[in-house]
Formats: sequence, structure tokens, C-alpha cells
Amino acid sequence: MKFRAKIVDTACLNHFTRVSNMIAKLAKTCTLRISPDKLNFILSDKVANGGVSMWCELEQENFFSEFQMEGVSAENNEIYLELTSENLSRALKTAQNARALKIKLTNKHFPCLTVSIELLSVSNSSRVVTHDIPIRVIPRKLWKDLQEPTVPDADVSIYLPVLKTMKSIVEKMKNISNHLIIEANLNGELNLKIETELVCVTTHFKDLGNPPSASEDASQARNPEQMAEVRIDIRRLLQFLAGQQVNPTKAVCNIMSNKIVHFDLLHEDVSLQYFIPAFS
Amino acid sequence: MSDNDSTSSNLNCKLGMKSILPIFRCLNSLERNVEKCKIFTRSDKCKVVIEFFCRHGIRRTHNVCFQESQPLQVIFEKSMCSNTLVIQPRVLAEAIVLFTSSQEEVTLAVTPLSVCLKSSSDEPVDLTSSVYSEMFVGPDEFDFFQIGVDSEITFCFKELKGILTFSEATHAPIAIHFDFPGKPMALSIDDMLLEANFILATLADEPSRASSPQSLCLSQKQKRSEPLSSNSEAGKNVTSKAPECILRKVAPKRLYPKETLTDVSALENCGSPIMKRANGDRSEVSESSVSDTEEVPGSPYLRKFSCMFFGAVSSDQQERFNHPFDSLATASDSEEDMNDGSFSTF
Repeated sequence: MKFRAKIVDTACLNHFTRVSNMIAKLAKTCTLRISPDKLNFILSDKVANGGVSMWCELEQENFFSEFQMEGVSAENNEIYLELTSENLSRALKTAQNARALKIKLTNKHFPCLTVSIELLSVSNSSRVVTHDIPIRVIPRKLWKDLQEPTVPDADVSIYLPVLKTMKSIVEKMKNISNHLIIEANLNGELNLKIETELVCVTTHFKDLGNPPSASEDASQARNPEQMAEVRIDIRRLLQFLAGQQVNPTKAVCNIMSNKIVHFDLLHEDVSLQYFIPAFS
Repeated sequence: MSDNDSTSSNLNCKLGMKSILPIFRCLNSLERNVEKCKIFTRSDKCKVVIEFFCRHGIRRTHNVCFQESQPLQVIFEKSMCSNTLVIQPRVLAEAIVLFTSSQEEVTLAVTPLSVCLKSSSDEPVDLTSSVYSEMFVGPDEFDFFQIGVDSEITFCFKELKGILTFSEATHAPIAIHFDFPGKPMALSIDDMLLEANFILATLADEPSRASSPQSLCLSQKQKRSEPLSSNSEAGKNVTSKAPECILRKVAPKRLYPKETLTDVSALENCGSPIMKRANGDRSEVSESSVSDTEEVPGSPYLRKFSCMFFGAVSSDQQERFNHPFDSLATASDSEEDMNDGSFSTF
């Protein structure tokens, strides 16, 4: 198994750092899947995560000037690593004005992802910083749990409002209740509701727009006013929103009534899918 | 005790930081309102009085209680160290961000060609262990670079961060003086107004021990103030030193005998000097027994550790540059059992 990649462009480096920061906010430990064309950050839906799962995908050629990998075997040309997300984002933080960044898989005393950064200091001399991030190689038999989640047909698909606004509202709601109901219809309306014994609070978002539906029949059959709703753990939603530092290029929310809410975001060229199951 | 405090102008005392900090906290309002500040002691009441003479005839007085204390004295001649580096605090600050706050120790490795700051090597075993980081800095980034002996010293990271915060306020370069592992190192800041010396213990090489030795940092900060131009009211020379001793203990999260652990935690907050025992073959440092009114651990530390040793600071400004710190036998209220240790000699 081999992996070796290099970033020399500052914009690519900053973008990669932002992605890594976002992942660090969304998942404490995650899986990094390396394949010849892509890098994926994966969180699989375990009970420990509260059933939340995440799939983040980026095309390697949009970031790396050099990229070489050799997977476990010829038929399974992929590498699955488990790492603590914050370790990677912190290591990248030191690469802010780097001339070059190299990542490679090493085995010093234990398997590591070595991030080596060449900094240009003020006095024009080069400074080399190296971080060895401990990782765990995930054996092939566990790969099946880490595949791209299939997105079931949504009852309602809607574009999200500005995430920062959503976040500040959800943050306040968190003080009142642990559960939040997210509901939306095909008329571009989205509501965030909390209900307790003493008080009910609803925030209404209008004119959001709905993405064109995949199947014509399904959307026509459904009453546009009818809301599809899911009751979720408010902290999971807040964690998701907190991870979005920059407003994404595209943000869609898919609701499967009483089952799951699926967020599909696009940050420039990085796609992020986040699933929050209904609270049982 | 000795001739040092025979004159009434030498008062060795300690003040709580929590008492002093709020008084000088708001720099802006101090600059705007305060015309003069007078600081004097009233030993009869064990108080330090800080008087602010503000605008509009307002006078604000703060009375801060002090505790008499015997300052720790260090025997350390920094000019005799084989390795000296002088660096701008900003460069060190950039290196510091590499390491997480959970790092307890950091290692400085030098050769005549390069300087490397790296995480103290532990054997990480799983994902949750910290990242191992290292940064190489070229010799040309230093204001002064003199390496006599290749060396790798490990010292307390928290102390380094604290020293850096202090130095960033003064904008003066930091000088690092050190030798081989086990021997203390000094970080000094020499500004026009003050000189600060931080003496840190470094981890001694311990090939025989399987588990990692305890890490202890003691530091001493000394300030001297420039003589104020005219201070007729004070009536005495303001240049008398008031050495401040800051003693902090870092309790590593490592295995070590339970009894020492509780002693350590008890000491952590009371700031008492800690009695150390060094092995005879350690280095040519002398042991000193210092005890304060607080508890001193009875049981010896099983781990080896480089010792802090203390000497008096010369009260004369000129002398301090030429002579090593004189040693001082400190009085102890309770006799401590010294394990063949020798007291620091005069």
C-alpha cells in the first residue's frame, strides 16, 4: 500500500484546509478513503454517532499536483484509513503560507499519515515542518460498511436558506428543547419547530425553491402544500450546521417523512452528504 | 539570615497574582486617568500599598497583603553554556502552534547546521495519541547562533508558552542558553527596562528506565527596575531588587507511584518549593533543600530528575553581569532528611 500526494497551489491548499476543518467539526474520528481519482471522508452510521452518517467526496486532481496511490491489491485498488480528524486539520493549519505540502503514508513505528510542509519564512529561508498523524488501516472485510450511502427517494426536496441564519436559530432553540422537527413542502417553504410543554416555537422560511424532481410522477402526485417532516436530535443538526464555515455553492435538503433527513451540499467542487435519522 | 536582607530596603515577599492583576488590568483607563503611581510597603501591617494619583484629585489606594518568603536562588551561569541561541519571539511563536496544548514536553535538538523543535518522543499507540510534529529552523533565522555541542534537550512546553507570552509583550529577542540533557537551560529576555531569566530543568537521559521520568519545571523570574529619575517622596533607591520566584509544577499524566502523585498534586497549588533528590552520578549540580511553610513530600521521588539549584542574586546591578549567582543556604523550618545530599556551598 502506498500513497503519496503533493499540493503546490496556495488556493488548493487553503481549500483543502477548509475541507479538513469542516470534517473535524463534523466527526471526531472518520475514515479516509483513497482511490485513484478521489478522496473520501466517511462517517458510517453507527450507534455511537447517533445514527448520523457522512460522505464527503473530492476529486483529487482538483487539489493535488502529484498523486500516486497503490491500494491493498490490484482488484481492490483503494486504501481505507481511520484517523482523528482534528489531527489532520491542525497539521494543515500550519501550512497557511506554505510553498508546498506533501502527504504520504508512512510506517515509522506505527502507521502514519505524514504531512510535510515547506514554509517560506520572512528571512527567505525555508522551514520544514513535519507532522506524523497516527492512523489505523481498515481491513478489507470492513469496507462494505463504508460505501457510499444510497439516497432513497425523498418525499420533499428543498433548497436550504442561508446556513448561518439557520445555525443561529437552531442554536437558540437548543436551549429550549432537545428535539427539533424539520418540515418542508414543494412550495419552497421550510419550518423548524420545537415543542415543549410550555412553549412551541416555529421559524418559517419561505420562497426557498425546490430542485427539479427526478421523477415527474412523484412530484405531481404530491400536494405542494403538504409538509414532510422528520423529528431529529437538535444537537446533530447543530453539529452539522456548525461545520459549515462558508455558505455552500449549493445546499439541498431531502426529507423522507419520519425516517431521515439528508443534506446534500456542494462547496465549490467538494460534495458533502450528511444523514440525520429520525429520532426514535 | 545573611547580609542580603540586613538593610530594610530588601524585602522578600510574595503577593498573590489574583490580588495584583486586577489592579493593573485596564491599561487604557490607567493611561488615561493615572498621573502617578506610588508603590511602597508597610511591613508593620504586612501590606504593599499601591497608590494611584488620578486626575481630578482622585487618589485610589490598594492594600495588598504579602507573605514573607524566601526566594529560590539559582546557581546557573548562563554565559558558560556551550550553546546559545538568540531568536525573535515571533519565530518561536510560529513554532509553538505546531504543538497541541496536550503536549507536556518539547525537545530542542541542535547541531551546528540546524535547529529542530519537536514533540517529545513517546511511543504513541493509537489514534487518539497526539501527532508527532517537528520543525526545522535554519541557522540564519537566529539573531545569534552558537552551538558548541550537539545536543537534544527536553523541557516543559507549558513553561515555554508562558515565557513566549511574556516576551511578546516586550518585543525583545529571547536568548536560549543550554548544554546537555539534564543540565538546566536558561531563557533570558533582556530589555531596556527589565531582565528576565527563566531557568528550566531539562530531562536527563535515562536509558535504563523503561517508563518515562517525571517532568518538573521550576522557574525563577527576576526583574529589576531602572532607577526612576526623581522620586523624592519614596526616599529610597528604587533599584533594589525584589526577586520574584515563580514556582509551578507540571504533573505529567504518566505512571508513577501513588504517594508521589498525591504529594505532587498537593504542591501544585501552593507553590512551595519542592525538594528534589538527584542521583549522585547525575551531573555536577548541587542539591538544595528548600522548604516552606507548606508540606514537602516525605517520600523521595523515585524518578530521576535534574535538580534545581539555587544561588542568591546579587543585589548590585553591575555585579550580576560578571559573577555567577552566589549560592545561599536557605533556612528551613522543618529539617528534611537529605539523602547524602550536599547543600549548596557558598
